[in-house]
Order: sequence, then structure tokens, then C-alpha cells
Amino acid sequence: MFSEKTFAKLIQRTLLAGVFLSLFLLLAGFGLSLTGSPAGGALLRAGLLALLLTPAARVTMLVYGYWRCGEYYFALASFVVLGLLGVSILI
Amino acid sequence: MFELTALNFFILAAFGVFIGLLGSALGIGGGIFMVPFLVLALDLPIHQAVAASLVAIVATSSAVAAVNVERGLANIRLGVTLEVTTALGSILGALVAHRLPAQAVQLLFAFTLFPVSALMFLKGRRGLSAPRRPAPAAAGPSAFDSSFFDPAAGAQTPYAVKNMAPASAVSFFAGSLSGLLGIGGGIVQVPLMNLLCGVPMKAAAATSNFIIGVSAAASAYVYFRKGLVPLELTAVIVVGVLLGSFLGIYALYRARSEKLQLVFAALTLLVAVKMLLKAL
Repeated sequence: MFSEKTFAKLIQRTLLAGVFLSLFLLLAGFGLSLTGSPAGGALLRAGLLALLLTPAARVTMLVYGYWRCGEYYFALASFVVLGLLGVSILI
Repeated sequence: MFELTALNFFILAAFGVFIGLLGSALGIGGGIFMVPFLVLALDLPIHQAVAASLVAIVATSSAVAAVNVERGLANIRLGVTLEVTTALGSILGALVAHRLPAQAVQLLFAFTLFPVSALMFLKGRRGLSAPRRPAPAAAGPSAFDSSFFDPAAGAQTPYAVKNMAPASAVSFFAGSLSGLLGIGGGIVQVPLMNLLCGVPMKAAAATSNFIIGVSAAASAYVYFRKGLVPLELTAVIVVGVLLGSFLGIYALYRARSEKLQLVFAALTLLVAVKMLLKAL
């Protein structure tokens, strides 16, 4: 059964995964930049991108969670937000 | 041109920690302080300052919301509904800002800070002097109604949510401010949810924090694609913001935010005057 608590946990884990992945990439990027490696800049960029994609991942989980709970109004609202985020990436 | 020296690294990281703490305590992204700091202290072009601020807001929001969702403080149904108009406004704001000259954005920023300062002052004063009243009951139960455990009261606090239609319209304005000026929009969202929707302050701050991550990300994508995000500087601030946010979540959970509001009201007024002088 997909309870409210499971749903909250899913959202929390998605946000934390994005934040910690970003933090890891940023710290690794700083480390490599200090050694003069050209990969440092790429990792910093990847870290910021991971962070910026975290809200989109969270909204994707909202679409999934509300769909599973049968709350289609909120699933639709989440889907519209996801669409808007998609549009802003492509602009 | 900004150069990332060891000193700058520590100043930026420390400032990021401050912004993260602020986000945890007040439910705002901290852009009202970050943009002026980057423009006035580091002489960064305002469009880059706005872009860096938006990325930092995503960091604060994601870190703080993760905990607030688990604690049941953030009202997800309310948040995702308001996110629709907020994200739309945010994208439009970013597109408009990109076409405006730097001086116009600075002036707009300065003029926005004056009412923000007054709002913070009034909110802080009311919070300190008046007893907390429950929100008036709505016409009937709605899907947005919720409750949360308030550690200060030591009890579950139920509340009804009302006025969703006007709240969605005002959220569009909050989103536009976010995209245009890099200020997240929490400064509009928190009083909006508290005064118009009847959401208790703590839940309003948590829900606002939940929303501003999406609105800031929507406009940050636009800035990122246009190459306006200063990579190293933003990365340092983000690391500081994440540390500050996690510290704040645990250190400030039981703190009363009203006294902080008064201090920040005065600080915002000072920043507004400085930004105005720089723009003129």
C-alpha cells in the first residue's frame, strides 16, 4: 500500500539524493581544480546541473506518487509543473 | 572580473552558510541578501548575481524541504498547486530580465526591497505582540486542509486552507519576482499563505520553501542556458548554503522567527538604500 508516509519518504529521499550527489560532484570538482586537472570545471558544472535537476526529479516523484494514490487532480498539477520545467530547459 | 582566491572562497562559503541558515529559519531563499552582496561587495554584473542566487535558492529549498516534508510541515498539495502559476511567472520573469539593461534590474530590485522590508517588520512585530489565533474555518473541508506537529505548542495543529484562486494569481507575481530579480519569491509566498490562505506561519514557511525550489529552478534553467551562471563562484556559495541549511534545520527547529524578522527588516532596508544608490 502506498501510504502518505511512504510518499513523504520518497520525496525526501529524492531531494536528499539530488543534494548529496551535487555536493559530492562539487567537492570533487574543487579537489580536481586544486590539482590543476581540466576535469575539475566539468565536475563543478555537473554538480550544479545535478542540483538544478533535483526539483524536476522531485516533481516527477509527485506525479508518480499522486497517480499511485489515485489523487489525479494533484498528479495533473504536478505534471503541468514538470512540463513547465521542461519548457524552461528548452527555451 | 571576479577571481576566486582562497580568501574569496572562504568569504563566499561563509556567506553561503549564512544564507542557508536564513532559509531554514524564515522559509525564504535568501536572494534578497545574496544578489545585493554579489553586486555591491563583489561587483558582479546583476544578471550573473541573479543567476547565482537562483541556483543557491534551489540548494536551500531542496535541503530544507527534504526535512520539512518528512516532518509533515510542508503542505505538498498546496505547494504543488501554487507551483503551477509560480513556475509560469518565474519563466516569464527570467525571459524579461534577460532583455532588461542591468541598471533597470538594479532599480527594480531596490524598489522591491522597500516594501519587503516593511512587510518583514510588520510580520515580526505582529508575531511578537499578538496572540496566535487559529485560522477562520473555511466554507467546507478541502483537499488542501492539513495539520502538523508544532513542537512549540507540543500538539498537532490542524488548519483549513482558503482563497486558493486569488492565492494562485499572487503566486504568479511571486514567481515573476523570482525570475526577474533572483529572490525566490518566498518573501511573497509566506505572507500570502499565512494571511490569505490561513496557513499557520510554520507550515507557510515550510511550504514556501518547498515551492521556491521549483520556481528558482525554472528560471535558473533559462539563465544557465544563456551562460549567465558564474560556475566557480556559484559552486562555492552552493556548498556553503547546503552546510548552512542542514545546520539551520536542526539548530533553528524550535526557534521563534519573529525576532529574526525584525533584524532582517532593518538589514533589508539598508540593502535597499545601497542598491538604489548604486543604480542611480
